[in-house]
Amino acid sequence: MDDRDVLPLRVRDLAIRHDGRTGNTPAGVSFDIAPGEVVLLLGPSGCGKSTLALALNGLVPHAVPARLAGAVIAGGIDTMDATVAQLSEKVAMVFQDPDAQIVTGSVLDEVCFGPENLGLPVEVGLARAEASLRAVGLWERRAENPDLLSGGGRQRLSIACALAMGAPLLVLDEPTANLDPVGIDEVYAVLRDLVTQGDKSILLIEHNLDAAIELIDRVIVLDSGGRVALNGTPGAVLAARAEDVAALGVWLPVATLAALRLRRAGVEIDPLPLTGAQLAAALDGIRVLPEPAARARLQRRGDEAAVRVRDLTVVRSGSTLLDSVSLDIAAGDFTAVIGTNGAGKTTLVQAIAGVVPPPRGRITVAGLDPTTSDVRALAAHIGFVFQNPEHQFLENTVWDELAYGLRLAGGSMDAAGVESTVTGMLERFGLEELRDAHPFLLSGGQKRRLSVGTALVTGAPVLVLDEPTFGQDRERADELLALLTVLNRGGRTIIAATHDLQLVAEYAHSVAVLSSGKLLAFGPTAEILGDAELIARAGLRLPPLATAMGAVEKHPSWRSVTRLADLPGSPS
Amino acid sequence: MTTDPYASVTAPPRFFLHRLNPLSKLAAPLPFMAWLLVVRDVWTPLLFLLFAVITILIGARLTLRRAVALVIGLPLLILLLSFSFGLWTDAARVDTTPLLFQIGEYRFYLGAWLIGLATALRLGAVLALALIPGLTTTGPELVRASVEHLRVPYRVGYTALAAYRFVPRFRHDLDLIRQAHRVRGVAGGRGPIAGIRRGLGYVVPLLAGAIRHAERVSFAMDSRAFGAHPTRTERYLMPLRVRDAVFTALFWLIGAGLLVVAARLGGALP
Repeated sequence: MDDRDVLPLRVRDLAIRHDGRTGNTPAGVSFDIAPGEVVLLLGPSGCGKSTLALALNGLVPHAVPARLAGAVIAGGIDTMDATVAQLSEKVAMVFQDPDAQIVTGSVLDEVCFGPENLGLPVEVGLARAEASLRAVGLWERRAENPDLLSGGGRQRLSIACALAMGAPLLVLDEPTANLDPVGIDEVYAVLRDLVTQGDKSILLIEHNLDAAIELIDRVIVLDSGGRVALNGTPGAVLAARAEDVAALGVWLPVATLAALRLRRAGVEIDPLPLTGAQLAAALDGIRVLPEPAARARLQRRGDEAAVRVRDLTVVRSGSTLLDSVSLDIAAGDFTAVIGTNGAGKTTLVQAIAGVVPPPRGRITVAGLDPTTSDVRALAAHIGFVFQNPEHQFLENTVWDELAYGLRLAGGSMDAAGVESTVTGMLERFGLEELRDAHPFLLSGGQKRRLSVGTALVTGAPVLVLDEPTFGQDRERADELLALLTVLNRGGRTIIAATHDLQLVAEYAHSVAVLSSGKLLAFGPTAEILGDAELIARAGLRLPPLATAMGAVEKHPSWRSVTRLADLPGSPS
Repeated sequence: MTTDPYASVTAPPRFFLHRLNPLSKLAAPLPFMAWLLVVRDVWTPLLFLLFAVITILIGARLTLRRAVALVIGLPLLILLLSFSFGLWTDAARVDTTPLLFQIGEYRFYLGAWLIGLATALRLGAVLALALIPGLTTTGPELVRASVEHLRVPYRVGYTALAAYRFVPRFRHDLDLIRQAHRVRGVAGGRGPIAGIRRGLGYVVPLLAGAIRHAERVSFAMDSRAFGAHPTRTERYLMPLRVRDAVFTALFWLIGAGLLVVAARLGGALP
């Protein structure tokens, strides 16, 4: 059979059941991918997107114990009849975590690794490596250790490694979930070039729709049961069936979401836009628009500062991580600390919470200096949530995990008090059913909620989070932010380091912008995000909605809209 | 500043140790290292210690810190060990030798020190010999040479290489877990028992992360045809050259000479 007649991928009635589970996810999925086609796979958490991706090159069932029914035919080969190594020439994979994909010690060795495993002659491997590295812009850096590349650079390297396999189909599973905005831009620039060349088929699993949408030929949406709910062009699925997609628990492009909100307020936009540019053009095509909702944002900023930072300079092994930063975070505020990787976000929030003790006398939290205070005393005033909740777990049950902080706080609380406080926390965080479960066996979202719970159980009025949405899909990120908003409305001060500016726009009251250890600006969210020059100077990217609205010409009052909640038609 | 274990070594010809095959650097000192484990005199280890240190000083490119550690640190360590080992010696066996010092009822004899010195010198000499390949070979080089010449399956060798990358990641994870536990107030208590308790608390999260990471790495390697064929293309050839044979032969020759000298000295002197 001629290679050109073979579809890169045919999936027929695919159902996968992991060993030890009862249900199938995915459950009876069928689709094809044509040569050069770019397909986006969407679905709510737990619908089996990643499992499906692993089945495409035979990792399921050859490396992951699972039962597979139906068939996956990759480049004419049934994956059941071939090894993963044989299938690597048909389907190349790029995974989420760039650090877990690097094996060798130099950029060039890394790209040659695949062709060498295939036993290709050295010259062929080198030629492939050069072409692949040039395609991702890393040829000049071929002699370097991959560890020296940025996150975006390492993920581009992973794409080059996949290209070097010479497979007609490239599968990318959440390739930008672990990257900062600059890294996301880099990866999408590479993907855009690949799509322009058009010789590779691509299956993309991605929650960052705003970056991906322009590249996509077709969208497949799975429902929570792992069946294909929708399959068609982006316009036919995401725009025409937007309400159905949202009802499945799948995030839409922010422009589409915005237009849906406006539709509810009586502003008819048809067809629904998918990109920011389409949204801006649609708005400009409407003669009269209602005024955007007034900024009736709850500014719960009391006079009292919950956290006071004065001339904080942190120098570690010769490099200045923070350079005389001063700011006051008011009690009840929701402050986001933003900046690129290495700007000092983590250093600042860790110093505030006393995770890494700052120089003496620079920080005051509720009258305490984190440097000189006892850890336990500090824990009653400020809670800290790490990126990976597992790192914080100490006990064998969820209940003990929550009780730990209370017991540690000393004799101030009797057994009945501990019982009632912990039970209250379990209810509040939706973990009642799991009180005897081992913390490590919870789902990702449950672990996150438990880690927030443990940080707050001693009644700390200030909660600090380091990149709380890193590596999570949109749904989980939103769930967490909704929880934080509830806590914030209840009077707690929230401080979060993040690089997700759309979340910042939606939830934060005030924003601190860091760049190379210096505080560039600190003020209300609208003011900071309204300053495009400031955001650019910090090396960041405006969130997609702000970018879209910035392009609106005929309705000046709409240009400063940065969050969905500012749109008319938003639930108050 | 940590050294990059993967940085390609382009040492000038003067530092000949870096230009040898790792296997010859291993083969040259190995028989003497084995012999040193069984000898009991002072001269053999002393001569081999000097031989190894001189070889390294001539043939290896050393940072100042490493050179100081080798020339000053190692002898000091041996001196310290000689006293500690001496304390373990049965005084009844050596009470005919001159008394060096006395603390209360405890007497430390010259003979005890000499026995301690012999043991310490043996350890020091074995260490110094091991440093000849140790200071001049990277992990990846050794793996490649072993796969090429010792019939080590490449699947094993390259898995070891991938595991090499785990180390800095685990260190980072461990730091984070330590911080996270401290924030939860696990500071509690000093001393070994509290330390062990703390350490045990790190194991579960560290292992959970490690297993997940290992699984991801293995998926990524499988997806890139790792293990597809019994052999794989190797771009870095690590041939055994004439210079490797010359180095090993010379090393053995000098080593044998030293053994004779040590025997003579041992006969002439007590």
